[in-house]
Amino acid sequence: MSYFFQIVVSGIVVGSIYALAALGLVLVYKSSRVANFAHGQIIAAGAFITYFLTVTVGIPIFFSFLASMLITFFLAMSVEKIFLRRLIGEPIISVIMVTIGLGSIIDGLIYLTPFGTENYSFPAFLPQNPLTVGGVSISWTQLVGVIITFLLIGGFSWFFKKSTVGISMRAVSDDQFGAMSVGISVPKVFGLAWATAGLSAAAAGCIIGNITGLNFDTLHSFGIVVFPVVILGGLDSILGAVVAGIIMGLIQQFASGYLDGNWGLNGTGDVMPYIVLVIILLFKPHGLFGIHEIERV
Amino acid sequence: MKSRTILFLNALLVLSVAFAFTVTANAAGKAYKIGMSLAITGPTSDAGNPYAKGTEDYFKFVNETKVLGDDTIDCTIRDDQYKTAITKRNFEEYIDDGIVMYLNYSTGSTLGLKRDFEEEKIPVLPASYHAGNLDDSNYIFLPVASYSEQLVALSEFVVKNHKGKGKAKVAMFIHPSAFGRGPVEDAKKAVAAGLNMEIVEVVEHGKDLDNSAMLKRLMSKGVQYVLCHTVQSPVATMLKDSSRLGLTASSYGEEGKLTFLGVHYTGGNDLIALAGDACKGFVWSCSFNLTSEKNDGTTKQLALAKKYGRDDKAANSHNYAAGIMVAQVTTEAIKRTKDAGLEITKENLYNTLNKMNGKNAYQPYTTIGPVTYSKTDRAGVDMLQIYSVQDGMFKKVGEPIQSEFMKKIK
Repeated sequence: MSYFFQIVVSGIVVGSIYALAALGLVLVYKSSRVANFAHGQIIAAGAFITYFLTVTVGIPIFFSFLASMLITFFLAMSVEKIFLRRLIGEPIISVIMVTIGLGSIIDGLIYLTPFGTENYSFPAFLPQNPLTVGGVSISWTQLVGVIITFLLIGGFSWFFKKSTVGISMRAVSDDQFGAMSVGISVPKVFGLAWATAGLSAAAAGCIIGNITGLNFDTLHSFGIVVFPVVILGGLDSILGAVVAGIIMGLIQQFASGYLDGNWGLNGTGDVMPYIVLVIILLFKPHGLFGIHEIERV
Repeated sequence: MKSRTILFLNALLVLSVAFAFTVTANAAGKAYKIGMSLAITGPTSDAGNPYAKGTEDYFKFVNETKVLGDDTIDCTIRDDQYKTAITKRNFEEYIDDGIVMYLNYSTGSTLGLKRDFEEEKIPVLPASYHAGNLDDSNYIFLPVASYSEQLVALSEFVVKNHKGKGKAKVAMFIHPSAFGRGPVEDAKKAVAAGLNMEIVEVVEHGKDLDNSAMLKRLMSKGVQYVLCHTVQSPVATMLKDSSRLGLTASSYGEEGKLTFLGVHYTGGNDLIALAGDACKGFVWSCSFNLTSEKNDGTTKQLALAKKYGRDDKAANSHNYAAGIMVAQVTTEAIKRTKDAGLEITKENLYNTLNKMNGKNAYQPYTTIGPVTYSKTDRAGVDMLQIYSVQDGMFKKVGEPIQSEFMKKIK
């Protein structure tokens, strides 16, 4: 039975981290209807900034973590201001192409540093012995990762539902011209959306980096790995990202635990989430929590 | 009479100048063009980057210390970002430039360009040790034993050192690609040929954040050894998960626990950097000398890195050693061809490489055994050293080994 519960716990842990990594994509999409293909690079940048501040500068890791979120907040805001603001009102595909180009530029910049090609790991700052209850084990890194994920996701949900700025962002997402007509600054909202996405990406980068080690290719690939989570959740729903993330994590772990190695199956942990995604989208084309828009013409 | 003298002196001057230029040109010697394409950025660049540095540094050393007399090696190194299309473009441009030997990198591009190498009849040294590179190919020379040979040798090591009753139960943890899958069939053939172990499962990993389910499943099937053939990052994550779950053997082969072993690209200092204490006891096969085990070769390697201002990380990397090694083999092939009074051409270098065996075997300072090539043996260093992580560094385990079953299944 502990095998089953270990898989459940692992699935929830992995799913939560997916949700956090997907959050940045949701935030940008929610406000600007743009899929940000440079998200993975921002995840990696956040992790490397934390490492640099901790190991090279010598700042305690907790403060490095906060500083890295702050830096990526302003970094993403600047990126939006320099590259994307002038594209407001342009076709979405143009903006998406710019994010792809942006990803290549950030790739290139990171490759200019040792972080682009070398492997690092964060200094150990949490207890090394895992928490084990009834044969089910979870590492402190994973536990802290899950707690941070839920704190950030809870915070962002509140922000979008209750704060004036959050409601403005939702309004811009619904109708840019309508929002402008009631005095909302669309450029500011876009900037803020990118900034918050940058912040959450840094948090995700640090958590993933703590689990896998700091390898640029591994880290930035998570920008793509979590796309199914965003699509399943409904693209613009924070709750959707959480639920979809956990569903994906659980499917992955259960497939790996019960299907792989039996009946000649292998690698189902990677494939099953996509199969389930396709099946769900057949019945719910807008994802689990996506908005079904009806346009009257 | 006077004008004749002036004319004669002018002619003498012109001839002197022409002679001086000829002498200078001869003194400058010939430059032999070599091309190299590899992943300096992009996937696997953690290996490709120090590899490129090793090659670059050794050729600089050859030119500066006049290893080839007045002749020099003009090696162009280009980044292909691990993309076969870019590798192909680089290779074609190198061919247009008139290279006499080519240094390649990935398994995918080596397999993809195999036909081009045959058409151009150019000797190639890749960084991929995939046995399939040699199928239907005459011009690819593996620097060291193939992944298949390494995996089979590691399997033999498992069988010889197995602790417990019955057959050693093994799982393979492999990269989801041709690179990863290649040697598995050979390991299965070795088992069919009598190697006393059971391959319980072959796991192709993904981008896993948690391997708990997989590890517990392997435990439930009685697996005692996990043989890895992939890159360091997924191995590091798995080792950390195994350590967290308390599944890692505290000593080699401990019953009821998992002992982890890996082929060339799974180990090295990067694994220690990524996995930390969790990689304690990890067993690794490699054909290169490691700087954690000082000897004459590693002293030379470190001196080379210091001479060209490389940082400690690159200097101590086995990939840096591997990059030096292919440059050493290339230089040696050119030197021997020159010494034989032959012109440095693709064909002559190919023939020289094929004669690199027996008493003509070449011993680079970077490897644990000699490089031997012939028309029927195109894997350079056949010996493998087993290392294991002790006190945060890879240390030698016993003497170099060579696979016995590989000969049986070939």
